[in-house]
Amino acid sequence: MERLFHEAAAHSRVAVAHRNKCAFTFSISSTDYSAIQAGANLDAATRPRSSTKGPLDADDIPPSSSPLSPQQPPPRMAPPSFNPRSPVATSPLTRSAAGSPAPGRRPTTRPGPSPVPGGPHKDFSFLLRPEIYHPLPPSNIPAPFLLNQPAPDTPIDALVAGGHFRAAAIAATNALTSADIDPTDHVRIFGLLYTRLACLTLIDATALAAQEVKALEDLGSAFYLDEVTGEHLVPWELRVFNVRLQALGFADHRREVMSYFELAREGRLRLADAMARHDNSAKEMWRERIVDLGVRVAGALVEMDDVAAAAEHLASMPGEKLGMAKALLLLQMGDVDKARRCVSGEKDGEVVGRVVAALADMAEGEYGAALAKWEELKEMDLNDEMVGVNMAVCLLYVGRMQEGKVLLEDLVAAGRSSHTLLFNLTTMYELCTEKARTLKLQLAETVAARSGETLGGSEKTNADFKL
Amino acid sequence: MSHQRYPSTHDAVKEPHSVSLKVLRLSRPSLVTQFPLQPPLSATSVPSTGRRPPPIPASLAYDPRDLLRDGTLTDPPAVNPDPFILSPIVNLPPSFGSAYVGETFSCTLCASHDAFGSVVSSDEGDVSPPATHKTIRDVRIKAEMKTPGSGTVVTQLELIGPDSSPEDDKKGGVDLAPGATLQKIVNFDLKEEGNHVLAVTVSYYEATEVSGRTRTFRKLYQFICKASMIVRTKPGLLSATGTGKGRRWVLEAQLENCGEDVMQLERVVLDLAPGLGYTDCNWEASRSAKPVLRPGETEQVCFVVEEEGEDGKGVEEEEGRVVFGVLGVGWRGEMGNRGFLTTGKLGTRHVKPPASAVVKKIAA
Repeated sequence: MERLFHEAAAHSRVAVAHRNKCAFTFSISSTDYSAIQAGANLDAATRPRSSTKGPLDADDIPPSSSPLSPQQPPPRMAPPSFNPRSPVATSPLTRSAAGSPAPGRRPTTRPGPSPVPGGPHKDFSFLLRPEIYHPLPPSNIPAPFLLNQPAPDTPIDALVAGGHFRAAAIAATNALTSADIDPTDHVRIFGLLYTRLACLTLIDATALAAQEVKALEDLGSAFYLDEVTGEHLVPWELRVFNVRLQALGFADHRREVMSYFELAREGRLRLADAMARHDNSAKEMWRERIVDLGVRVAGALVEMDDVAAAAEHLASMPGEKLGMAKALLLLQMGDVDKARRCVSGEKDGEVVGRVVAALADMAEGEYGAALAKWEELKEMDLNDEMVGVNMAVCLLYVGRMQEGKVLLEDLVAAGRSSHTLLFNLTTMYELCTEKARTLKLQLAETVAARSGETLGGSEKTNADFKL
Repeated sequence: MSHQRYPSTHDAVKEPHSVSLKVLRLSRPSLVTQFPLQPPLSATSVPSTGRRPPPIPASLAYDPRDLLRDGTLTDPPAVNPDPFILSPIVNLPPSFGSAYVGETFSCTLCASHDAFGSVVSSDEGDVSPPATHKTIRDVRIKAEMKTPGSGTVVTQLELIGPDSSPEDDKKGGVDLAPGATLQKIVNFDLKEEGNHVLAVTVSYYEATEVSGRTRTFRKLYQFICKASMIVRTKPGLLSATGTGKGRRWVLEAQLENCGEDVMQLERVVLDLAPGLGYTDCNWEASRSAKPVLRPGETEQVCFVVEEEGEDGKGVEEEEGRVVFGVLGVGWRGEMGNRGFLTTGKLGTRHVKPPASAVVKKIAA
């Protein structure tokens, strides 16, 4: 039984590695603001090249300030020599050299006005090549959903509003690759591109989106800046979205975390700018965007399977509304007691606290107790899809699957159609009979018949019904 | 459910059964992930300033709004923490997953009177109307687990029903109307590595208008139970405190997560032989966070074991060995899934203190 070990050195390496993983939660310091005094262009990407030095290697960062906390205004007058090893001081490199789409690589086959050399209009025709975009055949759509397709000339806005995301993705590509789009109309091009990529993720084609997004190459490149105003030409939403898609496309989540921090750095510069101008609306917007980025960093860490670092990161953020996120993360980690404590001081206390309490019971394996809590929540007339689905799951765990199945079918009848609802219901169908396929097809028909009035997307895939 | 199953031929009759058996391993339900998207999705809209609009509902794990009868949408209560990746809605286990020593294996067994006529072995098949007017009575489920070390002996599993009480054998079986299901749940503590076989026997009485017979079938579900933690221990002698007390040892242990999932260590305890006491030197003593181990990561723990009496009185010794007792490790996996295991008996060679030369030899 007793084995001697000689791995103390190896073990301490593990511990150090773990600490480093957490270190980047503090990895952007207030010294970034020296850029303001230096009069640097707000948008110029001033971070060091990621290939040689990343947040995980950050050893020059004071661990006192939380990078994503807008509540703590940074010192406005940090002396330029505050930290000689700060990224601003050491890296004159911008990322434009290698990553940006060079003019020579742009295809010249597309019609349209050529950009005036040195002028404000940039040519984005490299995003308009048809070979970037994948076809989206309806082969994985259950037959009932193909019966009520929108008219071919429906505007994209209406397709999106109606939940026809596959049709909207196709329409966006058609618009991008049509002959009458102006390659310098960046507002329209990036709007269409965002629609295309977002719709792909909504129809379970995230893998395609991760391939197509590569066409944008490096959004941190100076090529994407307006040469006169220095504004970034790509809308903020697309820049944020691009981060995760490129991380998936290049299978590099570490880069995702770094890119969010980079955007947050720009966000803080903008915030400081808005504060100087007393522009309250912009101030509010940038604050929310910075918090949003912070939450996304936690999400990226969860995707990297590093829940401990994600929890540490979330804990470092000021948490008015983050109690639920923190509680869910702790539940995922299995720290049930801490999860319960997380939401005790919540503003939306009542409902949030009850939901976490019920989930905590499930994590303890006390499905009967959890069921009672979900029943109470349902009695509160919330009519929440989550409460119904979770209650049905608990019913299965206590041996009352038949009741759970009826509950889920009622939710479908009430117009609900989330992936989770359909997945759980079809799983119950599989448990009830050897011929679940028949029931699944019937379910697909029911959902398709209501697709005009349901709340989610109106077109489902075969995978949603486990067909 | 599992990776392989062997249909058994208890019945000489080849006619398909009217009752089907389906099983689902009940690991913890999982929180559904979501990737919230910001509007506007349309090409024509201009980026707005001011407060961030809520994300597109279709990009959330579930629609938090409620559709009222007049077609308007309610304001959702702030339960779903957008834009966070985890949402509070849960999914049933999508697959069997991995089974680990130290965990409790839970499984639901569903015997159903298949409403669509006779049962065929595949999911495919045309919808045939109920072919015969069969009545299904007295449906019983029996479950057994065969473990690697048990040889031919099998463990009878207790079946748990909706009222959470064990099935009363005398009560007999249940009659199932067409489409109805008899659902039971079994739990089993996994203690051994290797091949496990869950054997489920279903028996029922099938009556037609003219005749009736009792039928039985049995299904086997095989799965492999793996180790999720490797424990390496090392005892060492400590110098006595000088207060006239007994001998002291330090017991170190490395706990390595050799499974495929993240685990959080919950507690490490020693269950010591009489006459010994211990001091915990780990996260509870330092009031630090419970360690989280990703696959392949290791945590080192340490205890000081001390003789409570003097001169080894009351300490059990076997052939020159001081036997400490056993080390118990408890952990939580995803969504709180519990695991607990104990080591075999730990101890160290008996050494008369003070004998520093011998101590070095042991440590080397």
